[in-house]
Amino acid sequence: MGEPTLSLLGSSDFNPDKYVRELSLNFVGGLELARLRKKVHSLSEETSNNLKKNVYENYMQFIDTAKEISHLESEMYQLNHLLTEQKSLLNSLYNTSILGDDSLVVIEADFSKDDSEEKKEEIRKQKLLALKEKISGSSHLMDAPNRKVLYESYLTELDSIENTPLKSVYGVLLSDGILIANANFDDQESISLQFEIYYDLGSVAVVNVRDLGNVKQAFKLLAFPDSRIFQCKSSTVKKEWLDKLDQAKKERLSQEQNKKDVTLIDKSPSRSSSIDVPYINPFEEIDEEVSIHPEWFLEIPDELDVCVAQRHFEEALALLDKAKEYTVGYILTQNQDDHIFSDISRKVEQRKSTLIDVLMKELEVNHDKSLQGGLRAARRAVRLLNQLDRSMQSCELFLKLCSSMLKIQCKRVKREGSTSTYVRHLSSVVFTNMCHMTEEFLRAFPDSPSCASAYVVWASHELNLFTSHFIKQAFVPQTSLSTLTECIILVRGQCERLCKYGIDLCYQLDGSLRSPLTKALRDAKDKLIDSIKLRAQEDKWIPMNLKSKSALARLMQEYLDVGLLLNDYVTGDYWLQLTTNTVSFTKLFLKFLDDCLKLQTADLLHIIDETMYFVYDCLKLQTADLLHIIDETMYFVYEAQIKHVEHSLKNEKQLEQRQFMIKNADFLLNHLLNAVQKKYKDVNNFESPGLVKLKTENTAVLKGITATARNITKYSSTEYL
Amino acid sequence: MAQCGGVRVHQNQFIMSKKPTVQPALHKVIMVGSGGVGKSALTLQFMYDEFVEDYEPTKADSYRKKILLDGEDVQIDILDTAGQEDYAAIRDHYFRSGEGFLCIFSITEDESFQATQEFREQILRVKNDENIPFLLVGNKCDLEDKRKVSFQEASERARQWGVPYVETSAKTREHVDKVFFDLMREIRARKMEENKANNGRGKDRKKKSIKSFLFCYKH
Repeated sequence: MGEPTLSLLGSSDFNPDKYVRELSLNFVGGLELARLRKKVHSLSEETSNNLKKNVYENYMQFIDTAKEISHLESEMYQLNHLLTEQKSLLNSLYNTSILGDDSLVVIEADFSKDDSEEKKEEIRKQKLLALKEKISGSSHLMDAPNRKVLYESYLTELDSIENTPLKSVYGVLLSDGILIANANFDDQESISLQFEIYYDLGSVAVVNVRDLGNVKQAFKLLAFPDSRIFQCKSSTVKKEWLDKLDQAKKERLSQEQNKKDVTLIDKSPSRSSSIDVPYINPFEEIDEEVSIHPEWFLEIPDELDVCVAQRHFEEALALLDKAKEYTVGYILTQNQDDHIFSDISRKVEQRKSTLIDVLMKELEVNHDKSLQGGLRAARRAVRLLNQLDRSMQSCELFLKLCSSMLKIQCKRVKREGSTSTYVRHLSSVVFTNMCHMTEEFLRAFPDSPSCASAYVVWASHELNLFTSHFIKQAFVPQTSLSTLTECIILVRGQCERLCKYGIDLCYQLDGSLRSPLTKALRDAKDKLIDSIKLRAQEDKWIPMNLKSKSALARLMQEYLDVGLLLNDYVTGDYWLQLTTNTVSFTKLFLKFLDDCLKLQTADLLHIIDETMYFVYDCLKLQTADLLHIIDETMYFVYEAQIKHVEHSLKNEKQLEQRQFMIKNADFLLNHLLNAVQKKYKDVNNFESPGLVKLKTENTAVLKGITATARNITKYSSTEYL
Repeated sequence: MAQCGGVRVHQNQFIMSKKPTVQPALHKVIMVGSGGVGKSALTLQFMYDEFVEDYEPTKADSYRKKILLDGEDVQIDILDTAGQEDYAAIRDHYFRSGEGFLCIFSITEDESFQATQEFREQILRVKNDENIPFLLVGNKCDLEDKRKVSFQEASERARQWGVPYVETSAKTREHVDKVFFDLMREIRARKMEENKANNGRGKDRKKKSIKSFLFCYKH
């Protein structure tokens, strides 16, 4: 050991204690030591100088490193933050599950004997449906009745020997088995689930993996010969899986052993003690109950489910009847009802309402549904609903269906051609359909007064729809009275077709047509009077020259057909001692009369017309009303013509001309009026009072007396009523 | 602590070399017996050198441990089953996966001893094999003053079955390792036999386990 040097002090095996001891041995005296101290001191200074120099030299590097370190720190912090975020996201995803986070609540609810059975059933179905959509290839598993989703989560499957992760799967615990689906993370966003296997609960054993090296939160499924290990995302998930599995297994066991309903089982999800009262007790009690109810009765809810699902509605109905019969018999013999019985009864009721719902759906009017099958297609559902004592509902739906069919049928009739063609088509479509519907209705709902009244209301409503449409189409100013008459007769004829089914809606049709018809008649009257006045102004009062014998003969024949013999008026070869005006009026009026009488005929047909005459004066019958209007109209029209003659007569001084005029008046007031009255009487069995009055009022004209001196009592409508 | 480290080492080895032959032999042991006889206590004592006083009924727990059996690395997989009656019907599924059984009763409870007969029968039925590695274990031998089942009685039954009888105490750890190790030796011997038989017949149904076993054997 000697002088202290940098290499000595800096060597790796330098021991200060040992060095100092050796120094004190070798160097004796204060001076020596002081020198050494100074030497060490200078060494220290030199070292610190060196360090400074080094720092200066590597200053930039030093700063960079410091920066790098702080950078790294912030990155680490960010990473930590990101990971926390991911964790919370995953947690919330797990909690959400695919069916919403109410899964636990639902499971609890399933075990508590709540009376909202239907709601639960609904939720159960929804959950299964959601699973069915989510996991491809699992549809065959999801249709089983009473299958419930107890738990589900993503799991990691591990190699059973090597404990290394194999793949990610989605596990679903159903009430009777475990479904494993492979999860394919094909891209970052979507995960597709592919059904892999379904283990029946009875064929698997569950093992809680307590210790598997560094693998935590795993459980094992022993499904001979497979043995699979699944790792859960967290200990809570694993606990849930084990608890639910245990619960499901116990339930299943008790079901198998006791043939007893699930709902009776102890509510607590985690039963650990082996001394569970419900397990030991039920045996004797159950044996009795099983013997009481036949097997088919116990299975009836499931059978019903199957029938409804396969749309074997008749079978379902037969089963319901059978169950009902049994129920009634059972209640009669047994005063108290046991829980199995009441439970099954309740389930049967529930299935019944499901069946009704399904059938109602069948009947509902759906725009997507083709009505091609027509009412025939509805027969089955209607019949079944009637058998289920739901005739009111089925009737309502049936009629709704009819309405929509009728509407569609009417829309198909195009508004083309003349009004009468259109009305012919439309009314034919409407009433033919209504006839068919009535037939169907009577077939579907025989002997059901309440349904029949619903039908009458429906028919009346449909008729109203039709008439309002008809009025809109036909009663326009452009339509002539003849066309109108034709149309009305057509519609009435169609309407009468319904009479043979016992539904007489003619009165309603008449009622709704009355006011527009009255208006139309008045319009026609005004038009006629206008044209009479127009022609009166142009009347030259000269006999009519037909210019040829054949033309004369044709005219004579024409008038003979309507009951007028014109032979007395013929002079020469082709002269007629009537004015053109008179002849054309005759033609016009007879046509008008025809129309009116046709209307009247149609109007009166459904009334026993014998009595008509007698009740005429005292009863304000609807038809009488119309008759009155017709009468009034005829009176005014005829009067207008007579007035013209009278007026001309008054102004005419020339005797020859007067004779000619009187002859015309005679034709109008005697010949024509008689013919008109005859026609009128043929239809109504009495003469038109208006025209009788007209004749008496105007006989003076025939004697060449004008009405100026006479006070003519005006035609008053009240007189006849 | 040492155990954890050991497993970790094994895992790392495994990850580094993915050949299946590197994997130590795996022996599957199943604990059976009535409820409360100490199956879980024995298992936990073997696994963690701990005696768990609190009683909580087991459903089905599995454990795995890497141990040195006669100088050879092996893994033991212990399936601790439920003793409770309500699990009786599903025991079959558990028993199928077992290669060897520790049938445990409590020497302080005659009923549990009587129940071993039933367990034995069920195991034989499920495994369909008279020579399945099997040990009859009388637990709680520290409670000599409460003894209800005599050693003679129990060994007589074991003799009838042609299996060893061992008395253990999960509390004092007496014979705990012995029963597990004895059983594993039996399982190992059994597998060797099977292997020979299979080789002789040219069957390689259990290729993987045989390979791993061969590896172990050469060691």
